[in-house]
Amino acid sequence: MLCDICHKREAKIYYTEIRNGEKKEQYLCEECAAGQSTFQTNKGEYSIEGTLNNFLSNILGSIYGEGEQKENKDTMPRCESCGISYEDVLEHGKFGCAHCYDSFKVMVDKSLRQIQGANNHIGKQPERAKDSSKSYVLNMTETEKLSLQLQEAIEREEYEEAARLRDQMRVLKGEEECVNGMKKKENTAM
Amino acid sequence: MRKWYEEEGEYSDVVISSRIRLARNLKKYPFSPKLSEEQAVALNHEVMEKLEDIKNESGTYLTCSINHMDEISRLSMLERYIISPIMVEKKQETGLMVAPDERASIMINEEDHLRIQSLTGAMNMKKALEEAYKIDDYIEEKLDISYHNQYGYLTACPTNVGTGLRASYMVFLPALDAAGNMTQLMNEAGKFGVTIRGMYGEGTKACASIYQISNQKTLGMSEEDIIEKLDSVVLQVIHQEQKRREHILNTNFSVLEDQIYRSYGVLKYAKQINTKDAMTLLSQLKFGEDTKTVTLEKPNMIFRMMMEIQPANLQQKLGKIAGSAQRDQKRAEYINMYLPELIK
Repeated sequence: MLCDICHKREAKIYYTEIRNGEKKEQYLCEECAAGQSTFQTNKGEYSIEGTLNNFLSNILGSIYGEGEQKENKDTMPRCESCGISYEDVLEHGKFGCAHCYDSFKVMVDKSLRQIQGANNHIGKQPERAKDSSKSYVLNMTETEKLSLQLQEAIEREEYEEAARLRDQMRVLKGEEECVNGMKKKENTAM
Repeated sequence: MRKWYEEEGEYSDVVISSRIRLARNLKKYPFSPKLSEEQAVALNHEVMEKLEDIKNESGTYLTCSINHMDEISRLSMLERYIISPIMVEKKQETGLMVAPDERASIMINEEDHLRIQSLTGAMNMKKALEEAYKIDDYIEEKLDISYHNQYGYLTACPTNVGTGLRASYMVFLPALDAAGNMTQLMNEAGKFGVTIRGMYGEGTKACASIYQISNQKTLGMSEEDIIEKLDSVVLQVIHQEQKRREHILNTNFSVLEDQIYRSYGVLKYAKQINTKDAMTLLSQLKFGEDTKTVTLEKPNMIFRMMMEIQPANLQQKLGKIAGSAQRDQKRAEYINMYLPELIK
């Protein structure tokens, strides 16, 4: 069967939309389905890959982003300090502030290994930094530690653990209501 | 006061200069992509104020605003290696603090908040590094520098993070160039983490067989190791160039000698000459001088002339010149006048 919109590609998705009480049924190809504005919120029959991506960017997005109700494309991680998105960093190859190195730590570690072949500095350091290097981890706040663990979990693709850590961070940040809301949403989505 | 390009030293027949650049950022401000106009102004003010007493052997640094200068002055500073191409283009508030002998400078609000630069003549990266460290240590006393316990000195671009160090040799490779070996050499150097670029660095074309050779990686190795690695590649390039020169001298001396004297003649008596031609001829003369085929009354003048005949420098030196035709005349006049006499 061909797609109801483009009439060119094979239809793979059965798409139902109820708008103002009126039911509309369509058979769509993946490309056209993705173009449907309301489709992103209707997760029923989308591919597993898409759901995973959504889930991942939701995890990252909910930590780095400012609001919950962002569109898919806006859920790229952002630096809390300067607000730059990781997309912008990728596009221009430059960070927005010193804090970005921690905000995007997982990606930074990965890309530094690619670009520089290493991700630990050896060499000159400022006098005042010499004593503080040992107390670096000790001085981390609870949220910062969780953030690190979370990024590691994502890297290992352990999404359940990631979700748990994310919730824990939320609690710490005093956003319990928000977490409950998200949980409900996820349950219906998965 | 001797300028870096008048200095004799190790391998000065091939290596023109050794340059260190350290990238540093202040904790207080966001990096350049997120720096507002107001913050750029504040950054310039703060740096200039806190570092106002910085000096080297030649005296206290001179301070100036770059973005308020006219384009010719900016280009002229680029042609003399005082500022970078980014600084020429940047519209935001940018500043410069430079030692009177032009051996050391601090660029403010380039790609990073601070770019410390130190230059010496010939092959002497150790000295350039020592000088750069002195400036860096002084800055650290006065300003709060962004440093990460894992990643080292933080920079806007991750290609500079860690040491923030770019060590760069300017080399003269006419024999390798003539043999058509440069492309192969560039590829091979890349495998050792070393970049070979044109006379004015990133994105510029090679001109008159002058190249810049610098380290690619800045993280995971100490500054000394980075330089040692770079040196081992540069030494090989030097030896290849010297071997090639020897070969040319042994097999083609009379042709070469004729070419060098002809170049001298044209430079001495031409009535108009464009940059490219002048650079080619000066390059041949420099080759003659470096291989001792000819002896000039004033040594080490040729590279200086190469810088000074660049369009903006010439314009700066000789006042307002309208078009390129007029500039070509002025360039010829300048060369006629300053070309050192031959010692027969």
